[in-house]
Amino acid sequence: MIELPSTFIITVLIGATLAGLACSLIGTFIVQMDLTSIGFSMSHAAFAGAALGLLLSINPTITAIGFALLVALLLGPISEKAKLSPGVIIGISFPISMALAFIFINLQPTAATSEALNLLWGNLYSLTSADLAYLAILSVSIILIITVFKKEYLSILFDKKMAKASGINTKPFYFSILFLTGLTVAVTLKFIGGLLVYALIVNTAASAYQFTYDINKIFILSPIIGIICSLSGVWMSLQFNTPIGTSIVIMTAIAFTLSVIFSRKRGTGEGVIPLHN
Amino acid sequence: MSIVELKNVNTIYEGEKFPTIEDINLHIEREDFACIMGPNGSGKTTLLETVNGLLTPHEGKVTVFGENIENNGKDIRKKIGYLLQNFSFDPTKSFLVKDVVMMGRTGKIGVLNTVKDSDWDFVYDCMELVEVENFADKPIGKLSGGEQQKVMLARALAQEPDILILDEPFTNLDYRAKKEFKKLIKKIYEKKDLTIIMVTHSLDSVPEESSKLVLMDRGKVVLQGRPDEVINSEKWKSVYGLKPEDNND
Repeated sequence: MIELPSTFIITVLIGATLAGLACSLIGTFIVQMDLTSIGFSMSHAAFAGAALGLLLSINPTITAIGFALLVALLLGPISEKAKLSPGVIIGISFPISMALAFIFINLQPTAATSEALNLLWGNLYSLTSADLAYLAILSVSIILIITVFKKEYLSILFDKKMAKASGINTKPFYFSILFLTGLTVAVTLKFIGGLLVYALIVNTAASAYQFTYDINKIFILSPIIGIICSLSGVWMSLQFNTPIGTSIVIMTAIAFTLSVIFSRKRGTGEGVIPLHN
Repeated sequence: MSIVELKNVNTIYEGEKFPTIEDINLHIEREDFACIMGPNGSGKTTLLETVNGLLTPHEGKVTVFGENIENNGKDIRKKIGYLLQNFSFDPTKSFLVKDVVMMGRTGKIGVLNTVKDSDWDFVYDCMELVEVENFADKPIGKLSGGEQQKVMLARALAQEPDILILDEPFTNLDYRAKKEFKKLIKKIYEKKDLTIIMVTHSLDSVPEESSKLVLMDRGKVVLQGRPDEVINSEKWKSVYGLKPEDNND
């Protein structure tokens, strides 16, 4: 195992905890509302945005947020109105995002290329105190927003049309979910990596959905799984010197496999990811 | 004053050239039990969604509770319980019955306000009224189609609505569930002083209490009036090409 200063370890552990918390909470919405395609597209757009930030010597987190939100603004209404299938959304946006990202990386001076590639896989050592502050603000904001507007979000999670029919202004809540997803992806990008951050969002929440029918419990269970996966991913990364992003993804995959095996729903032959409303 | 009034309403779906419902003029009075009938594709659901403000008319005016729905749709919808057509929930859906019924109350409670004990009492009263209180802690997806339908009715009632819109509530229900649900609607209508607007396919679903029957065909209201008048009219025959007794399921 690599010997590291304790302040660094503490920073990484706090960062991993906050990233696991934020991603898995957002994941509960993404999985239940079948927004996986939009979220997936946003995470890769954020990666392209961060690559552009590096090229232009702008804070990559800012440009990543800009790109992710741009995709949310474009794909949110398009997928709603045109009723595009998730496959079509990914099919169009994924190659564009990746093409842009690699163009931006290709244009970088050689010295900056390794930093750009870190955006793909994530880097434990990239976490600064400013990043930690962003993660803390994001996590607290997500918890506050979900707590304050819980009953509205639950209605929308259950069925957006029914929520609207009963007098809830669904649009701001729906777009706030996309907005928070964009922010979460962008803020965790440097740490976990653009290609893999999405696994922490989807796999952890999908695991939580295997265990209970009570949506209130899922909002507690999902972050617990997210934090465990993040921290065990950090352990794996330090123990075996593997990239942090890939380590966390492997942990989330193990968590999902275990959740399916031991699922309460699985016991009744219904242990599938509830991707459809 | 009518509780629902539509004047020269045309509704066109986005991307479509021609209106799905056209030149609709309709009045529904307080505590009416209005049934809307018509062949498939005649625009019944579009009419309901236009009344509720889920669809915005391309032309004309929809007034509910004396207010233009386009100006204050969100607040008007809080007073309209809406049972949507054709829903069925995945058995894995992670929502308990009591939480689903409480969702009906969300608009009434209001943004930034918290759920109080009195809200839960009301939710349990609604579940009791439709006889699903024993399922309160069960996942919605584990219930039968008829039970899910009752839960969704409880959810609509939890809004404390003045108007209840029911879009083909008997579709996908077996004979027994249909009979039970019909009785339930009658009980609610009598107990709650509601105005009910119900789309149905079969004449035997039109209750005795029904005060108005609206006949639609190809996006237009072709006749409206007392159920016996409409059923015995020449228009009825021409729309269905049937005698009234042939139209029962």
